[in-house]
Amino acid sequence: MYAHGIGADLPPGFEGRIFTRQGSGIEVANPVAQFATFPLPDDVGDFGGGAVNLMGNNDIFVVLFEYGPDSVGTRLFAHQGLPRELVTAHFQPQVLRRGLSGQSGTQWFFTEAGRPFTLYAVLGSHARRSALVPRVNQLLAGLSVDRAPVALAAGRPWN
Amino acid sequence: MVALSVVLGAVVLLLAVLVAGLLRSHADILKALHDLGAGVGDPANDRAHDHGGDGPPVGAVPVPLTMGPPLATDRDSTSAPTLAGVTPRGDALAVAPATGDGLTLLAFLSTGCASCAGFWESFRRPASLGLAAGTRLVVVTKGPDREIPREVADLAAPGLSVLMSSEAWTDYEVPGSPFFVLVDGAAGRRVGEGVANHFSQVAELVRRADIDAAAFAVDAGSGRDVGIDGPARESANDRELRDAGVVPGDPSLYPTSLEDLYGPPDARMPTAPRPIRRAG
Repeated sequence: MYAHGIGADLPPGFEGRIFTRQGSGIEVANPVAQFATFPLPDDVGDFGGGAVNLMGNNDIFVVLFEYGPDSVGTRLFAHQGLPRELVTAHFQPQVLRRGLSGQSGTQWFFTEAGRPFTLYAVLGSHARRSALVPRVNQLLAGLSVDRAPVALAAGRPWN
Repeated sequence: MVALSVVLGAVVLLLAVLVAGLLRSHADILKALHDLGAGVGDPANDRAHDHGGDGPPVGAVPVPLTMGPPLATDRDSTSAPTLAGVTPRGDALAVAPATGDGLTLLAFLSTGCASCAGFWESFRRPASLGLAAGTRLVVVTKGPDREIPREVADLAAPGLSVLMSSEAWTDYEVPGSPFFVLVDGAAGRRVGEGVANHFSQVAELVRRADIDAAAFAVDAGSGRDVGIDGPARESANDRELRDAGVVPGDPSLYPTSLEDLYGPPDARMPTAPRPIRRAG
């Protein structure tokens, strides 16, 4: 699957979507990629609101959320490259955006191909992290990000 | 007379030369086909003799011969592969109906077919569809190479999951639109498919599948268990037989005649049907 400069070669059992929110006219909607091992509801919050509460013990939910180009070069996004080799120690229950009992998560901010992202991954069961983290890494191995288009310099006439 | 004989001889000679040329040309073609591995007989047997070695003949080119499109080895008529494509807005979407515990109804529709119009309209009133709670509805059209995304977007109700993917139609062997496929996520397979004129018929299909899934569950404690296979299926069959008094070695397991199966002819009277539980 591919859209908005993000590609995903999904492992078996995963489904996903790569989309942008409908713009309100003021804010700029950036791409969001969501992947899960369970049926994703139609209306899911960017970071899994409405979905993580449906997770079973063996389920995984992963979000790749892009920020605006003004975030490039800031300290928060200084890490270069999408993390692709997560370990069980990276997942902690207190990292969850919504603290659901038994679950754990991890979040990373980074720049990939000149585009600022955060990666947020949730495990359905922290106790089963040894079995679930390799599946997360399998998903991450299949993700790709196209380089951001170079903005044209403003103020210089064509002729 | 002599002149006629001379002319006749010349014609015969000319024909002989032509026939010899044709035979030579035919032999060259056969030899070329033989070198390509498509000759008559087993080329492997003649290769060493013809070319004086065990290696491949000089100039031999492998010719791939296929009898049809390759089939995925992990796919059969009940498998439910992941559907991947785009939405009418251009977003990417992948749906894995063989995951989760619920049912997924895939509605293969198109923008052009007249009988699809009623379904597009029905999907604007999701509350009146009559689908069982927890059943996910996904409309699948052909991809942007066959359908105009704008037209699909105009027909799709807000909030309706619409996936545009020509590959999905191939994967699910959809004969035409409208066509519906019901997938049981717990069993990880298709449990029903077919055509319908009205969505009420489809809802009835889903309702029956839901009831069947509950009735045929082998282990009530584990919830829905449709489509058991392998050792679980064998165990279920053994349990059914034991409950009916049929144990290993029972003569009824080894019929040798029709009477063994149906009893004596005078005893083949119609009896009340005995409900049989399906094992899978």
